[in-house]
Amino acid sequence: MSDWPVVKGDYQVGNGKSRICVVTLASHFELASEYMKKVALIGPCHTENLGIEKIIANVVSNPNIRFILICGEESRGHMSGNTLRAIHANGIDGNGRIIGSEGAIPFIENISEAAVKRFQAQVQLIDRTGETDKGKILQIIEEYHNKGNVFSEPPMVVQAGKKKRKRERLEINGTGDVVISKDVSLDTSSGIIA
Amino acid sequence: MFRFQTEQKIVNIAGVKIGGQPGELATVLAGTIFYPNHKIVEDESKGLFNKKKAEILINKQSSCADETGNPSMVHIFGSNEVGIKKYIDFVSEITEAPFLIDSTEARVRIEGVKHATEVGLADRAINNSINMGITDDEIEALTHSDVDASIVMGFNAMDSSLEGRIALLENGASVTEKGLLQIAEDSGISKILIDPSITPMGNGAGIALRMTLVAKAKWGFPAGSGIHNAPSSWNWLKNKKKENDLIFKACDVGSIGLQQMAAGDFILYGPIENASYVFPMAAMADIMIAEAVADFNVIPGEDHPINKLV
Repeated sequence: MSDWPVVKGDYQVGNGKSRICVVTLASHFELASEYMKKVALIGPCHTENLGIEKIIANVVSNPNIRFILICGEESRGHMSGNTLRAIHANGIDGNGRIIGSEGAIPFIENISEAAVKRFQAQVQLIDRTGETDKGKILQIIEEYHNKGNVFSEPPMVVQAGKKKRKRERLEINGTGDVVISKDVSLDTSSGIIA
Repeated sequence: MFRFQTEQKIVNIAGVKIGGQPGELATVLAGTIFYPNHKIVEDESKGLFNKKKAEILINKQSSCADETGNPSMVHIFGSNEVGIKKYIDFVSEITEAPFLIDSTEARVRIEGVKHATEVGLADRAINNSINMGITDDEIEALTHSDVDASIVMGFNAMDSSLEGRIALLENGASVTEKGLLQIAEDSGISKILIDPSITPMGNGAGIALRMTLVAKAKWGFPAGSGIHNAPSSWNWLKNKKKENDLIFKACDVGSIGLQQMAAGDFILYGPIENASYVFPMAAMADIMIAEAVADFNVIPGEDHPINKLV
């Protein structure tokens, strides 16, 4: 697990062998080091698209994680907590839309349907959306950090968006000598972008 | 530097001109006020805030604009319907500058647009934004409002590539029935400002710069962004900030120059407290750009930083 978490984000990495990670939605909590040993990850999730993708990528790549505690204040407008519950319950449609989400732009770009299904199978959600009492959050961590068994399947490799990005050969239609896009280019001698 | 072959549109919002060829107009700068966790907000749910401090911040931005020649706008963020109306009323009393109506929630933006219409401020208002998550209620509210200016956001959560972002604006990219540009026009938006959408670094932040060029080349609409969101969401930089805040500020303010060099016409520069750093940075870039395109017969306006500061 030396290269886990596979996707960087605005969260603290604890013990990758823990059974629980904590999603604090729009809230931020700092945990004492003794509790960081009991969580795999803890951090916010502000967005209903990129934020959800990061959670799934880091969960399915670590079979030790079996529980996700959702707590903290809901992310207004984005509804990332609602969206996390929706993708866990309903998955995504053919366009990558998270079924049943109330978020503004609940789409997945970089996570496959297979990864979503793995996510659904691997973890249970402990929904405490709105909970900001750190004492209660610590109680749940205490209860679940070593509960149950490691997921039976090996880590699923989910490439981060930047690694997955296609490097296609660009077909150039512009007339300039500096390419900006397939049909926009800059002629450096005249300085014209067309 | 360069100029665009496509004719560049210039929109005039309450006397502030946005757009044109690089070097033609000064970059328009919008500082955000009443943003989440803004210290001047005392009770978010009731829209209560420290009026004296808010006034000082807005006036400081206006002073910076007067000094450098970079016009200013006030980017109003509201989290609820009560607050957004109070914020609009207050800002419009303090300054004559245009203001942006922004919220993460559609119902708040709708209320802001309706309110601006009802109190006769629609000609100073910019809806932020028309994006791929736009609701029927939002379209209806815009259509029935007098607000005729809006940012159109190029964020495509299904395809963050340049092509995906352009397609979203052009034809809806299978996400919306029509392209967002058509939705904007159908909703009565005649002053379109394109924001290519700054995603986090590692998720395509840089694509936004290229899209600014492409959007202006294809359509000629004014374009710009909240590019500071790239350094602001960069975790590595957040840790450096703990060492020395100046490291963060240098990246935060410096990012503005990147957007200007990519032909940005306007910039949402983040917390309005940063005005005194942002305006000189933007003015410097504007002067350099204006000098670089002088051979193209681009004549900067009288108030352009090149005519005020050098």
